[in-house]
Amino acid sequence: MLADLAQNTLDGLGAGASYAVLALGFTLVFGVLRLANLAYGPAIMLGAYAATWVSLHAPVPLLALAAITVAGSVAAGAYVERVCFAPHRRARAGSGPAGAAAMAAMVASFAVWMQLEEAATLALPRHLYAFPPLTTGPPLSLGPLALRMETPIGLGVAAAVCAALWWMLYRARFGLAVRAVIERPAAAGLSGIDVSRVSAAAFAVASSVGGVGGFLVAATHGQVTPHLGMWTTLKGMLAMMIGGLGSLPGAVAGGMVLGVLESHSQWYLGPQARDLTAYLLLFALLAWRSRGLARRG
Amino acid sequence: MDGYTVGVLTNIGLFSFLALSAYVLLVAGELSFGQQAFFGVGAYTAGVATAMFGWPLAAATAAAMALGGLAALLVGLSTLRLRGLYFAMATLAAAEMARILFELLRWQREVNGERVGPDGAQGFRGIRWVFEHGMEAGGFLALIYGVLSVLVTALLVLERSRLGATLRAVGLDPEQAAAVGIDIHRIKLGVVSAAGAVAALGGALYAHHNTYVEPRNFDIMLGVHALAYALVGGLGTALGPLLGVALDVGVLEGSQVFAGYRMIVFGGVVALLLVVRPRGLLDEQIVNALTRRGWGLR
Repeated sequence: MLADLAQNTLDGLGAGASYAVLALGFTLVFGVLRLANLAYGPAIMLGAYAATWVSLHAPVPLLALAAITVAGSVAAGAYVERVCFAPHRRARAGSGPAGAAAMAAMVASFAVWMQLEEAATLALPRHLYAFPPLTTGPPLSLGPLALRMETPIGLGVAAAVCAALWWMLYRARFGLAVRAVIERPAAAGLSGIDVSRVSAAAFAVASSVGGVGGFLVAATHGQVTPHLGMWTTLKGMLAMMIGGLGSLPGAVAGGMVLGVLESHSQWYLGPQARDLTAYLLLFALLAWRSRGLARRG
Repeated sequence: MDGYTVGVLTNIGLFSFLALSAYVLLVAGELSFGQQAFFGVGAYTAGVATAMFGWPLAAATAAAMALGGLAALLVGLSTLRLRGLYFAMATLAAAEMARILFELLRWQREVNGERVGPDGAQGFRGIRWVFEHGMEAGGFLALIYGVLSVLVTALLVLERSRLGATLRAVGLDPEQAAAVGIDIHRIKLGVVSAAGAVAALGGALYAHHNTYVEPRNFDIMLGVHALAYALVGGLGTALGPLLGVALDVGVLEGSQVFAGYRMIVFGGVVALLLVVRPRGLLDEQIVNALTRRGWGLR
C-alpha cells in the first residue's frame, strides 16, 4: 500500500521531469510572445520524426539522435516563428482592434500545426514508429521499490536545462535583453534592443529546450506517433498553467505536480481518469485561483 | 446531384453551425477552444432522445439546444471572469473533460430487441431516425440548409440591431463598453449560452446525418477548425464563417486536387491570409464598404 504510493510517486517524478522540460520551453515562448504557441508541440514532433527517420536508416548513437531532435525542433520552430508570430508582432505594435492580431497569431499557429503534422505523416506514413529507448537494462531495486533508470536521467536533464536557462536569463547579457523584451517590449526597443531579433533568438532557445523534452519523451516511451505534437503542446501548456504563467520554478513544479498526479490517478482510477484529473485540476485552478500555484512577483 | 456532392454540401452545412458558434464568441471578443464539446453534447442528447426514447427529431433537437446552452452557461459562469488566453485554456480543459466523460458514458436500453445507446469509447450507434422516417440524403440536406438559413438570417438581422452594435462594442473594447453602461458580464453570458446552443444544434443534426458518433469526433482538432473557419471567413458578417467552411471543406477537400497535401495547403493559406487580413476575408471594413455603397441597406 505504502510501497504503491511511493512507487507511483517515483514513476510520476520520472514523467514529471519531461513535463517540466516541456513546460520550461513553453514558458519561455509564452513570456516573449504573451501568446500560446499551439505549434510548439508539433515542431518538437517534427524534430523527433527527423531523428526517427535517421535511426531507421543508420545506427546512430543516442546523443546524436538527441541532437537531431533538437536541431529539427529549432528549424521547425523558426518556421513557426516566421510565419505565425513575426508578422503579427508588427501589427500588434500598431493600432487596430485589441487582441485581433493575438487571435490571428494563435489561429495561424494552429494552421501551421496541421502543416507540420501532415509533413510528418508524409515522410513516415505508418501510425507508429519505434524510437531507440533511453536505457535497456532492468530497473534498479531500492528495497521494495523499482527505479527505472529513465527517472534519474530525466530529473538530471530537467535540472541541467533549468540551470542553463536560469544562467542564460539572469547572468548573460542576452538574457538581460530577453527579460527586457518580456517586461516592456516598447521600452526595450527604445533602449536599442532589436526586439524582433531577440524574440526570434529566444524562440530558438525555447524550441531547443522543447526538443530536449521531446527527445526524453520519445526515448522514454520508445515510440513516436503523429499525436506526439498535440500531446506535447497539451502537456507543456498544462504544466505551465498549473505552475503559474511565466515563472521558471513554477514550470518545473507544475511539471512535477502533473506527473505525480497523473501517475497516482492512473494507478487508482484508470487511464481515462488520469487525463480527466489533469484537466479538472487545470480548470479548477483557472476558475478559482486564476493564476496557478506560483504567483509572479 | 450525385452522392458525393450531397455529402460535401452536407458537411459544409454541418460544420457551419460550429463555425458560427465560434464566430459569435469571437465577435464578442472571446476565443474558445471548446465549442466542440457543445457540438458533442448536442449530438449525444439528440441521439439519446430519438434512438433510445423515440422522440421526434424536432423535440430532440430542441432538447439538445437547451442542454448545450445550459452546459455553456455553466462553463461561462465559472470562466468568464478570466481574460483572453485564460478563458481559452479553461474552455479547452472543459471540452477535453466533456470528451472523456463521453468515453465514460455507458447508458443503453433495449429498443425493438436491440441494445441502443452510448457505449463509452466504442461510440453511439444506431441513431437512425432520419432513415426510419423515410428521409433521403437530399431531403436531410434541404433540412440542414433550411435550419442554417433561418439561423444566418437571424444573426444578420441581429447584427444590424442595437444588440448587435452592443456585442461589437463589447468585443472591440470592453472597458469603454462598460464605461457607457453596458453590463458586459450579462452580455457575455448570453453570448456564451447562445453559442453553446448553436453548436448543439449543429451536433444534433450531425449525429442524425452520421447515425454514429464517438467521443473522439469531438476532440480539440474539431474545435480549432471551427475557430479557423470563423477567422478565415471573416468577423465582419455571419456569412464569413460559412465562406471559411466552404473554402476548406468545399474547395480543398471537395475538389480532391490536393489529396494527401490538403492540410499543408490549407494550413499555409490560413497562416498567410491572417498576416494580410487578421480579421478574415469578410472583415468589418469590407462589410461596411459593401453595405454602405452598393446594397443601399443604410
